[in-house]
Amino acid sequence: MLRYITQRVLYMILTLLIIATITFFLMKLLPGSPFNNQDKLTETQRYALNEKYGLNDPVPVQYINYITKLAQGDLGYTFQFDGRTVNSLIVNGMGPSATVGFEALLFGTIVGLLLGIMAALKHNTFLDYGAMVIAVFGIAIPSFVFAGLLQYYVGVKLQWLPVAFWNGPEYHILPAFSLSVGVIATVARFMRTEMLEILGTDYILMARSKGVSKSAVIFKHCVRNSLIPIVTILGPMAIGLITGSLVIENIFAIPGIGEQFVKAIQVNDYPVIMGTTLFFSFLIVAIILIVDILYGIIDPRIRVAGGKS
Amino acid sequence: MSMSERKLTPDLFRPANLDSNRAEEISKPSLSFWQDAFRRLKQNKGAMLGLFAIAFIIVFSLIAPTFTKYDIDDQELMRANLPPKIPGLEKVEFLGVNGVDIRDVNQYEMKNVPKDDYFWFGTDSLGRDQWTRVWKGTQISLYIAFLASAIELIIGVAYGGISAFYGGRTDDIMQRIVEVLVGIPNLVVIILFIIILDPGILSITLALVITGWIGMSRIVRAQIISLKNREFVLASKTLGSTNGRLISKHLLPNTLGAIIVTSTFTIPGAIFFESFLSFIGLGIQPPIASLGSLIADGFRSIRIYPHLAIYPASVLCILMISFNLLGDGLRDALDPKMRR
Repeated sequence: MLRYITQRVLYMILTLLIIATITFFLMKLLPGSPFNNQDKLTETQRYALNEKYGLNDPVPVQYINYITKLAQGDLGYTFQFDGRTVNSLIVNGMGPSATVGFEALLFGTIVGLLLGIMAALKHNTFLDYGAMVIAVFGIAIPSFVFAGLLQYYVGVKLQWLPVAFWNGPEYHILPAFSLSVGVIATVARFMRTEMLEILGTDYILMARSKGVSKSAVIFKHCVRNSLIPIVTILGPMAIGLITGSLVIENIFAIPGIGEQFVKAIQVNDYPVIMGTTLFFSFLIVAIILIVDILYGIIDPRIRVAGGKS
Repeated sequence: MSMSERKLTPDLFRPANLDSNRAEEISKPSLSFWQDAFRRLKQNKGAMLGLFAIAFIIVFSLIAPTFTKYDIDDQELMRANLPPKIPGLEKVEFLGVNGVDIRDVNQYEMKNVPKDDYFWFGTDSLGRDQWTRVWKGTQISLYIAFLASAIELIIGVAYGGISAFYGGRTDDIMQRIVEVLVGIPNLVVIILFIIILDPGILSITLALVITGWIGMSRIVRAQIISLKNREFVLASKTLGSTNGRLISKHLLPNTLGAIIVTSTFTIPGAIFFESFLSFIGLGIQPPIASLGSLIADGFRSIRIYPHLAIYPASVLCILMISFNLLGDGLRDALDPKMRR
């Protein structure tokens, strides 16, 4: 197991290094610099600015400087605001982003589990079909479309909830709900399949024939055993949440990392683009790693296979 | 007992055919794998609905722009932001297609639009016909999705196939490469790629392909590895088949099911990513439009002109749901063991 974890961590570092390299050189390939548009700058001023941000050095030197700083966790300075570091932008944005993400994850998982359990217990009834229709819709409809419609109908037409911004608990409801739709659908579908499989196993039959009460059979035996494989979909779900947060934060004007990222793209702020890209990559790669290790620990059957690959 | 209720009379029985020459005869018409799969698919109402919806949208996206006399970039500021108006249906109040906007002003009368001019989905802020733009946008979204999926399919099948078929060191090296690549989040690569290349149909397609083929190659590799050592392949090899024949006659046809199912899921994935990119401003640039860019433009003015976002969003949702339904149905039909 230890060997497996070490190997995976090494792969993770290699992946991150490759991403950092690709990002760096792609950014260098981009035409123009962030100071080109400001015509008011004199030649000397521009030179001084370039010097300050290290843009006058040859590219290989810049690359080595970048990687060395990166290894120390320093993502450099943003071009947009004087003297602010990318780290501080990310740290500032992390609060709202993480809050929305966790709220969506929590709400989505609970509702998804309930829907999935209900669908499996009432298999092939109206409830089951209803839950599965919701699931297909949730998987198919992009979260930004859902968010936009929700914003229009609940925020603008009915005026039940604030349309945008981030000033208190009631501002969390719409964005968190729009983000959670995908989670609800994925979890509900997965839970239903798992539950149906486990309901048909011999040990459930055994428990029933022993005279265990129906609720004990469902909650102690079925649900608990169905929950194990759900760890596997956590990775893809986290990626979906991050992708979704990019647009959801824009639609609802939440001051999170996703919003910073999109803004940075629009104004060619290289360090912010590189920094957030790396941050997202690190997040995703780390989540996948943790999920894989967690799964190996929870389910002994995977450990053997996992140790090999 | 039910047995005793039904009297068994000798004339219910018929002597079995003992002719040894006809013992092997199959009395039912034999169904090939594909006929059988199609039969199963037809029983799945959701999948058939999805199939018809997709066919309808494809056909409509091709012929619908010819229904009106306006092209995708015919601007006329005099008729900007008109709400939808459809002949015939304009009499039905609650449909909201009578040319009256949300403040109860008949924009068509106010802006002196000729009586026989109908904009079925209204017009956008530059006075361009939204009907033409929505269907042309659908065309472009579908084009990108199909093109990206087709290229992904070719690269994925080739890579996965070679890796699995030759095995050994080739497989080792190719899989190590994939292992590193698969760790890179596709969102990040796609966005970086679009920033470097100018946003356009080709660059979006390329960006989608660059990360998309890995999933396909892994599925093909897993399938071929499991098929490679099966008896029928060994038999064919023993009889002296060349590698080419083994691949084209035995391995690929048996992998086709999985390939088709994967493709039906990569298409909605591509449609989603394309509209996502357009939404954050990295997608299709004006004057042409895609569903995503239309939705993004529409959401900007959704409070006053909801029609601009609603129609492209509906088309996008129907497309996505249909492809997902069809994919689920195909998976059940082609691989009964995988049934979920």
